[in-house]
Amino acid sequence: MRYGKTLGVATALVTLTMAGQAMAEASCGMNTGEAATGDPIIVGGIYGDAAPGDWSSSTDSAAAYFACVNANGGINGRPIDYRVENDQWNPESAAQAAALLVNDTPTVAMVGNGSFIEMAVNANTYEEAGIMVMASACAISECFETPNIVSTNQGPLPSNLGAAQYAVEELGATHTACIGLNIPNNGIWSCGAVNDFMESRGLQGTSVLINPGAPDVNSALLEAMASGADTILINQPAGIALAILSAAEEQDLRDQFIWIAPTPLYDLSVPEAVGDYWDGHVYVNAELAPLNLEGPDAQNWVAVLDEYGNDDDPRDTFGQAGYLSARFFVDAMLEMDPAQLDDRAAVSDAIRGISGYTSDLMCGPYYVGDADFHMPNHAGYMVQITGGSFEIVRECYEYDSPYFEPHRALEAELGLN
Amino acid sequence: MDRSLFRITRSGWAGLALAAFAIVILPSISSRFWLSVFTSAGCFTIAIAGVAFMYARLGMVSLTQVGLMGVGGWVALRLNYAFDFPFEVNMALAALTTMVFGWILALPALRMRGLYLALVTLMAAGGLEIIFATFQFPNGGDGFWGVQTGSGEAFRRPWIAQSPEAYLRYVIACAVLGFLLIELHRRLQPGRAWALIRRSEAAAMAAGVNVTLYKTWAFGIAGLLGGGAGALLAGSLGLLDDGTFRASESVLVFALAVVGGARYWQGAVVAALLYKVLPPLLNNWGVDADLAYIIFGAGLLHAVITAPDGIAGQIMGAVKGLSRRKERADA
Repeated sequence: MRYGKTLGVATALVTLTMAGQAMAEASCGMNTGEAATGDPIIVGGIYGDAAPGDWSSSTDSAAAYFACVNANGGINGRPIDYRVENDQWNPESAAQAAALLVNDTPTVAMVGNGSFIEMAVNANTYEEAGIMVMASACAISECFETPNIVSTNQGPLPSNLGAAQYAVEELGATHTACIGLNIPNNGIWSCGAVNDFMESRGLQGTSVLINPGAPDVNSALLEAMASGADTILINQPAGIALAILSAAEEQDLRDQFIWIAPTPLYDLSVPEAVGDYWDGHVYVNAELAPLNLEGPDAQNWVAVLDEYGNDDDPRDTFGQAGYLSARFFVDAMLEMDPAQLDDRAAVSDAIRGISGYTSDLMCGPYYVGDADFHMPNHAGYMVQITGGSFEIVRECYEYDSPYFEPHRALEAELGLN
Repeated sequence: MDRSLFRITRSGWAGLALAAFAIVILPSISSRFWLSVFTSAGCFTIAIAGVAFMYARLGMVSLTQVGLMGVGGWVALRLNYAFDFPFEVNMALAALTTMVFGWILALPALRMRGLYLALVTLMAAGGLEIIFATFQFPNGGDGFWGVQTGSGEAFRRPWIAQSPEAYLRYVIACAVLGFLLIELHRRLQPGRAWALIRRSEAAAMAAGVNVTLYKTWAFGIAGLLGGGAGALLAGSLGLLDDGTFRASESVLVFALAVVGGARYWQGAVVAALLYKVLPPLLNNWGVDADLAYIIFGAGLLHAVITAPDGIAGQIMGAVKGLSRRKERADA
């Protein structure tokens, strides 16, 4: 009886705690509960939304967080005026978006950017304008190998390496076929890094590249099969990745290969979309904390979206990354001299000075530093599609590649490892 | 018709006045965003002038003009990273290479007419799209294709046009040269030959006109203009992406050339403004920029049904009507 009573109390407490978590109020910035009314601080963001993919979830989450900050005292009483533009996966539109947001508008920083195109077009513009970009859904090398862009997401190179490393160490992969987009700074760059990793382990890697404008997934699968690979790495945006899995299902290829993917496939709608056929057979790298973990930031991100976002704002990794970039930006702004909040150069210095910020969403510390390259996030999780959901199969792990040597040296310089 | 080589018509004066305004005033009053938009529009004005001239002078439908821009852009980028030539040399070589490409494309295509010619050029545009998507645009890498992961050094702009304002002026000056090149041809022997060919190829042949030569020549000029425009676009952005040069864009550009009015230089300007300025304008007004495509479709229906000379033809007709009324009133 006593045991039953104790169990009842415990159950009630757990239920109350969970209810409390579910109903948790968003916590943002100064957290005063009063709306900011001062002169706005202008912040920009660029996303890509056109075929073959929508990369706006990071700016959506950043916008929700900034709305929450504005409702909670802003930056020392000043609201953030967050202005976003769509680059439409088009270099001309990307250049025009940057001209509008960086050259024609007194933005102090760019936050939450997510694109396949704009960083390649605008990296020089950002450098010349002396503005820092705290991106969130980066997919190309310029995002990680230029001085004025830093991202909370990992991008395809680390995420692919993480997936390949898991497949080699846990699933016995010996030959990966990386199906990437035929974009030099995306698919060729990231699949090439996987091939180098496989060779460094005495194994084999092959790149299979497809045209993003007219992706022929059947041809890609046939080419991957012809390469003799035992592992298919689907290095694609979610839409094309699902098409590849669908084509593989039609040919009943599931048991002939090990199926792995980087983060874009880590979306809560994916397990249902791929169906029972793939249950337990697809392994996905998660660049940030899996969505079922309930750390303080993980919960706060959901609460912020629920309260300040739109119902259709995606709850995915890039949304987490957008939230994180916005949060780190606000934290850095709150540490600044309030008199310098409109000074782009001072804000850029403050962003470069970020070091040792932590979040339960990231496996390691976030930092920027004064360097020509930035990739603070190079450790992640591995999850498996199972039971209509994702299950963690490997907790936070560092990716093993010589590519990260300069990053680790910078971290040592900053006293972070 | 007075074919005096240096006579400036009223339309010509209007063009020169517009060019003077665009060179002197427009860059000074435009924000960086609009400088970027107008520069793109300037590049496409040149390309559209090429395709419109072929349609207006010879009745030939080319659906590969944006693909030819891609060829010019590819050559300009490759030369920029391979050699230390100044921009002008790169642009001239890119334009000439594209002209030769236009000739090569024209020779088998010229056996076709009307719809079949359009289909052949569309297939060429599709082929170029696949080549661009497969091999990408040079970005400073080694080898023939010159592609590397990561960006190379910045693309060298003309030394007199380093700033966005100066580059817009440069592009407009190039567009003026392009229009003058077309007008020069119109007033010389090729113009007379093209006029005859347009009326009747059989009659032209009977009159001793080398139809194949002059048709190929026209394709070459369209290629020259397209290639030059592609090089200018590469200079504007510093890089190019295959998404800009899809076959569907060539179809759209031709349709807009018809909407603008292929017979007039104003038509190319109107078409480029519709293509490159209208979408950001709608965006600035808070309207979905995709609405522009509906407007393009409506414009094409309007041109096909009621205005075969396009918007420019209607404007010119209205101006002529006003002039006549004024003359009558004066009399």
